Amino acid sequence: MRYITVEGLDKQFIVRKKREKGVLREKSVIHALQDVSFAVEQGELVGYIGPNGAGKSTTVKILSGILTPDGGMVDIGGRVPWKERKEHVRHIGVVFGQRSQLWWDVPILDSYSLLKDIYRVPENEYQRRLTQLTDALQLGDFLRTPLRLLSLGQRMRAELCGSLLHGPELLFLDEPTIGLDAVSKLALRDFLKEENARNGTTILLTTHDMEDIAALCPRVMVLGHGKKLYDGALPELLSRYDTQRILTVRYEDGAALPELPDSCAVTREAEEIKIIYAPDTMPTAHLISLLQSAGTIRELTAQPQNIDHLIAAMYREMDL
Amino acid sequence: MDTIKLYFRSMGMLLKSQLQYPASFFMQTLAQLVMEGGEMLAVILIVDRFGQLGHWMPGDLFFFFGMMSVTFYMTEIFGRGVTGNFPSLVRTGQLDTLLLRPRGVLTQVLCSAIDPRRITCIAVGVTALIIGSNMSQVQWTVLKALALAESILLGMLLVLGLFLIEAVFCIHSVKSVELVNAITYGGRSACQYPIDIFPRPLRVLFTVIAPFALTLHVPAAYILSKPLYGWPDWTAFVTPLAGAVLFGIMYLVFQKAMQFYRSTGS
Repeated sequence: MRYITVEGLDKQFIVRKKREKGVLREKSVIHALQDVSFAVEQGELVGYIGPNGAGKSTTVKILSGILTPDGGMVDIGGRVPWKERKEHVRHIGVVFGQRSQLWWDVPILDSYSLLKDIYRVPENEYQRRLTQLTDALQLGDFLRTPLRLLSLGQRMRAELCGSLLHGPELLFLDEPTIGLDAVSKLALRDFLKEENARNGTTILLTTHDMEDIAALCPRVMVLGHGKKLYDGALPELLSRYDTQRILTVRYEDGAALPELPDSCAVTREAEEIKIIYAPDTMPTAHLISLLQSAGTIRELTAQPQNIDHLIAAMYREMDL
Repeated sequence: MDTIKLYFRSMGMLLKSQLQYPASFFMQTLAQLVMEGGEMLAVILIVDRFGQLGHWMPGDLFFFFGMMSVTFYMTEIFGRGVTGNFPSLVRTGQLDTLLLRPRGVLTQVLCSAIDPRRITCIAVGVTALIIGSNMSQVQWTVLKALALAESILLGMLLVLGLFLIEAVFCIHSVKSVELVNAITYGGRSACQYPIDIFPRPLRVLFTVIAPFALTLHVPAAYILSKPLYGWPDWTAFVTPLAGAVLFGIMYLVFQKAMQFYRSTGS
């Protein structure tokens, strides 16, 4: 079932900048979003990526009813977010990675209890949800601790619990793993997968962490300069840019490196020699035989290009 | 009913968070006492130097001062979200968070802050009211008590309404506009003295634009049995409605302005 329909979304911001001379200010128009359209099915997990300033947060703010767009149409579960804000936000949850929604100085349990009143969640429903979420997010030990005393990872879990207490059908996550350690990140991803599978919650995730996307989102949308540039599976997107491999070599007694064609980028760190090459132009077998002719290889590893490099290459090609 | 319950629950929680820092809370409350005590000292000095202002006797002056203090600082305690916090809600983007919840924005702004430190200011105000009432030998009747309660309640709406003007500017420019302070804090400082001692432009300002004269001076003069401009007694119950009217208008303007809210950062 289709849950989100977005058609021809436009949003502009007028920015007043001070001129270099004089006191008058110059007006300039920034097109935060231009003709963005997409559709999301109920229960889908969608990643939304793009460089800083691409318009990701603006999209989330429009879809969650905070901002009114300048043009275009949005339908989420039969509602227009900015026209029926109160009715709409009852059905959605939002987590901003850099902005807290809970009260800073009180135990998080008190925050939850107030959220229960704000969302008018019935008491038994609230208790059921709270038990479920505190178990899944392992919040039990610090329910009575004020938010300000929690670590970043604990705080993110607490925020997530707060945004899911009213059982939203749709969850927006704006950089949820920012600043988290590896363990917290993995736990968070597992939780989101489970929440999605168990309650059929539709999740829209914006992030700069490509591992998040790879682990969670079968589908990814790329946004740049306010326009949608790609919409589809992540592996497919990456395969277009995944043209390079990295070969790391160590020689016995530091033998000299052989002459290599210019298409291979070589960096050297102590004993370790790193070669970035494109298998299309320089077949791997050929490269290895070249390397072998120079001396005895002690160690050799081959690996694909890091996912962040691929994204950077993509942004570069799309001129972002 | 549900909204009022939510408001008081929020207030309870905010109070709890403020008491997390007891020393700071105590010091700030003390500072407020010194500040408002200083304001009252000004009235004492005027009384001491001039004896009276026009036909207003010392007791009357204390009474006016007391009514203004109680009205203004009750608003600051219970309406802190609007009178103090709004600009920072906009600037830090915390307003976004409020928009994500299924409640009215103004309700949530009011639920977002409380300023219990002002309790000492109210104590000063109440003291001034009692001193004034005794010195001017006010003959209290049920009607006069009602007029006092009405004046304070509607005066609070007036103060909230005036601060909403600042909030509306703030939504547009993401900065607070100090100019509006001229009629909010300025209004408080000026209108703690009876309106008819001021020159005409100021009288017009505080009758038509920021109608403290209507919410406060008319009923206060009635209670003191010295009707302002010789107006009949019933006016003391009607003119304070100006506070509700101003609040109503500003409420609508505020709702309209929120449609143009543009949020900050990412």
